[in-house]
Amino acid sequence: MQPLIRPLFLLAPMAAALVALSGCSTTPIPTDQMAVSTAAVASAVSAGSGDLAPGEMKTARDKLDLAQGAMATKDYERAGRLAKEVEVDARLAEVRARSTKTQRAAAELVEASRVLREEMNRKTR
Amino acid sequence: MHQSLNRLPSSPTLAVLAAAVLTALGGCSNPPIQNERLETARSEYRAAQNNPQARSMAGAELQQAGDALRLADQAWANRDDIEEVDHLAYLTRQRVAIAQEMSRQKAAERAIATADTDRDKVRLAARTDEADAAKLTAQEAQRQSVAAQRESEAAQRQAQSARRDTVTAQQQAEESQARTTALEAQLIALNAKKTDRGLVITIGDVLFDNNQAQLKSGGARSVETLVGFLKQYPQRKVLVEGFTDSVGSEQSNEALSTRRADAVRNAMIDMGAGIDQISTRGHGEAYPVASNTSAAGRQFNRRVEIVLSDESGNIPPR
Repeated sequence: MQPLIRPLFLLAPMAAALVALSGCSTTPIPTDQMAVSTAAVASAVSAGSGDLAPGEMKTARDKLDLAQGAMATKDYERAGRLAKEVEVDARLAEVRARSTKTQRAAAELVEASRVLREEMNRKTR
Repeated sequence: MHQSLNRLPSSPTLAVLAAAVLTALGGCSNPPIQNERLETARSEYRAAQNNPQARSMAGAELQQAGDALRLADQAWANRDDIEEVDHLAYLTRQRVAIAQEMSRQKAAERAIATADTDRDKVRLAARTDEADAAKLTAQEAQRQSVAAQRESEAAQRQAQSARRDTVTAQQQAEESQARTTALEAQLIALNAKKTDRGLVITIGDVLFDNNQAQLKSGGARSVETLVGFLKQYPQRKVLVEGFTDSVGSEQSNEALSTRRADAVRNAMIDMGAGIDQISTRGHGEAYPVASNTSAAGRQFNRRVEIVLSDESGNIPPR
């Protein structure tokens, strides 16, 4: 057994290194992330991002397609990254759509307020 | 297995192998000194952090961006796969974009709230103005109504007053008329004649004795009526003028005419007429009213005329 000790000592880091190496390629299947991202895209669509943030929306959709393709080819690492990006892309599309709507409403309101004030001033005069 | 272990390379060989494995590990990424995408993500994150609006309104989103950046930095420091670093840098940039957009939305929401309040204020002000205006209008209307009522009352009073005035004037006119009528009636009884100088009452010769200045009783009665009239109208005056016929001297005739006029005046004063009301004048044989060639004519000329003044006491001269 004695002569075996040294090689084993050396083998242990090697095995560890191999495990770590395999970590680069062997990824858990990103099922949850795919579900989250798909939901994020749906949510963005329902918020009107198709009209109000078409660029972001297209990016998110295209990437979701790519992610699904990667899932099909079992390239889970790529699928996971793409899905994560889809999530933030969709989230950005949604926020942008909501923000645009809110800003438009604000502008309209400010304008309405201005018109009202003007009218009032005219009436009192 | 045992054999294979025995066949393992010697320790220097193993060390080289391990180094190679480690190199391969690191070889997942073969990084340059800087990752451009990571640097972009970092600078964008810093910009967002320096934006006070983003910091205050999208704090949670900014923190997520920060977390993503830390992961990317870690991956870079760990010399992870370049794709992983790029991926994490991308996530960071998107998180930053989300945070920025979120802060824009919050700002817009705030603007809406402000505009709502603003509009409410304007509306309230408008309503207040309208209410004030309505109140003012109402007050003005009431003032006008009160003023109109006052005017109407004043007009009514004026109308009543005018009616009273009319009645009074009418009464006065009637009274005046009545007085005039009474006067005229009295004067007609005295055989008064309307002439250019006014009413003239002639007392004929028959009321005086021949060559005498004493009024006969009949003459006294006519004079009595006239005195009653003068008492009633103290502002009236009379001028008593005496006349004779052409018989006798002019001086004696003038003296006689004056005496007769004076006689009439005295008689009138005796009867109660005011001294100031009566003046006299003797004209002698002047101003005959008939021919002195006949006895009847001369009789007409022997006379006393009493000229009645107007209401203010004036008698036009001959």
